[in-house]
Amino acid sequence: MSPTVEINGKIAKVILAGQFDFNSHREFRQACESVIGNANVSEVQIDFQKVTYLDSSALGMLLMLKEKVNAVNKSLALVNCKDSVRQVLEIACFGKIFSIR
Amino acid sequence: MKILIVDDAEIMLLLIQKFVSSLGHQAVTASNGQMAVEAYRAERPDLVLMDMMMPVMDGPEAAMRIKAIAGDRWVPIVFVTGIGEENRLAEAIEQGADDYLLKPINFRILEAKIKAIQRNSDLQQKVREQSAVLAEYYERAEEEKRVARHLMEQMVNADRLADPQLEYWIDPAESLSGDLIASARTPGQVLYVMLADGIGHGLTAALNVLPLTQPFYTMTEKGFTLPEILVEMNRKVRQVLPIGRFVSTAIVAIDSVGGTLEIWNGGMPEILLLNRAGDKVAGWKSTHLPIGILSPEKFTVTCEHYEFAPGDRLFLCSDGLLESHLADGEQFGIERALAALQSRADAPGRIEGLKHALTDFMQGASHHDDVSVVLVDCSATSDAASEFVPSERLGIDYDSHLHVCWRFQLVLGPDELRNCSVVPFVMEFVKQVEALRSCQSEVFLILSELFNNALDHGVLEIASALKDVRVGMDEYLRQRFERLENLAGGEVEIGLELVEAPTGRVLRIKVRDSGRGFDYTSRLVAADDDSQTHGRGIRLLRNLATSIQYLGNGNEVVLYYLPKSASTTA
Repeated sequence: MSPTVEINGKIAKVILAGQFDFNSHREFRQACESVIGNANVSEVQIDFQKVTYLDSSALGMLLMLKEKVNAVNKSLALVNCKDSVRQVLEIACFGKIFSIR
Repeated sequence: MKILIVDDAEIMLLLIQKFVSSLGHQAVTASNGQMAVEAYRAERPDLVLMDMMMPVMDGPEAAMRIKAIAGDRWVPIVFVTGIGEENRLAEAIEQGADDYLLKPINFRILEAKIKAIQRNSDLQQKVREQSAVLAEYYERAEEEKRVARHLMEQMVNADRLADPQLEYWIDPAESLSGDLIASARTPGQVLYVMLADGIGHGLTAALNVLPLTQPFYTMTEKGFTLPEILVEMNRKVRQVLPIGRFVSTAIVAIDSVGGTLEIWNGGMPEILLLNRAGDKVAGWKSTHLPIGILSPEKFTVTCEHYEFAPGDRLFLCSDGLLESHLADGEQFGIERALAALQSRADAPGRIEGLKHALTDFMQGASHHDDVSVVLVDCSATSDAASEFVPSERLGIDYDSHLHVCWRFQLVLGPDELRNCSVVPFVMEFVKQVEALRSCQSEVFLILSELFNNALDHGVLEIASALKDVRVGMDEYLRQRFERLENLAGGEVEIGLELVEAPTGRVLRIKVRDSGRGFDYTSRLVAADDDSQTHGRGIRLLRNLATSIQYLGNGNEVVLYYLPKSASTTA
């Protein structure tokens, strides 16, 4: 997985691809840190369009991301969640603490 | 570097020795192959420069012996050879020599070769050091894993999983499982079963689930409710694990006597209730966030309730089972799991059928996540049921002026009723009393029934008829929660006394509430009718107690219970 970052005005989109699991830890963190540090960005979107699979460590990474994003007063959304991804997020009831679109 | 120079011509030895020394290396010399082998043994040089043709033992022979002595240590050997020896040279290189140099020696090239070998040698040295570090690291990691596995096994406590109502299977993806199955019984013999799945697998996942074990076992044994245990587990996980770490958990309480289930699912696959034929009767999807994510104020512990039918079984599993997949991505899935269970619907060892089905499906490949499965018979097996043999009815009308051995009394106001776990608290005392040691579960049952009646119907004034219908149970619990939150007045008094009756020592339990009471004459008659759900509690009490008297307007009850051990001595 190598995430790509697209910045469009105030919205930064981190586009993930393939398996999102513990092995993606470093790349995911690096991609996210770059947008968190960007003062012009007010909303961070994680795009799951191309994600085939995510596991519980990915959920853990999302929780950590949420903490960091909240700390700098930006908002966070999980977007383009397909069925397989949506299912995992639903089982964990992440809809209660994340904005999922 | 220490360099061994081997040549039978004195002049060559001298020449090379001078040159090597001028480059800053240490030179050792030998004048034939035999001496070279001995010199190698004694000096362990880093490089050997050797002539091919020598008396006593030639170069290639000496090279082979030196390599044999060196073993794993890399010792580069460079032959210094004249024109016309090419065939012998090729052979020697095949047998392990590393390089060659043609005579007459070009010192510029010799210097370059020594430098190249030095670079190689340094690299080899580094690799050797690193692999030693790696080996040590590996051993340490294995040892840590061994300790962790032992710890896990102790914490998980397989003994307690040996419950006749329970079948289970854990298959870790690595040597340690990040899935945890735990079961324990409350003093009232309600079976609590927990399946937890930590993030990832292996050691870190195992560490994630460990904080759950202690609250689960100790609080279950003291008779705390599922919500109380969940709150404590959430607190504990948040306290000990870093942010981003959480534990998906499913926890169920199976009351085989009452015929009810209580269920909480936070992040686990759907929990299923299967009938005797193995068909799905009901299911509970995850409706809560996993444990460890939300702060105590936001953490939700609302459980779902259900009345099961005889023969029903609960099926819990981790996502590792359902998501086990082959290279083509097809997952094992719930349909395959249920079909496998159905194939041996009623026989013991149903989980064996599931294991085989998964093995066949995976075609020898290994699953990448921990797999765990629990199957619980909701109806009690004969063993568990026999614990509820009603104590002998004496039919004695007790005189209220019996001699009192000891008395334990407490009065609880709104704050205590809201915040204290009253029955477990009283049980802490009961456990200390020698005379009651062998009948804790009966005392717990009696206390729970009496206290809950006093609180729910007496102080909170909830209509017990609500419990009759299935939807009513949720409504009942909702009302209970709400009214308890807003409770401004009222009290419950609990008194325990051990009294000397003519037949032996008897436990007298008094519970009084500040409510309006109830028409107990009609209620006791109704309790004899089996179809009444809410009469069950009183019926149970009448089986356990030797005498029950309602006093006043029904807001006070005095119950006599003959402790088991006392009945044998009396």
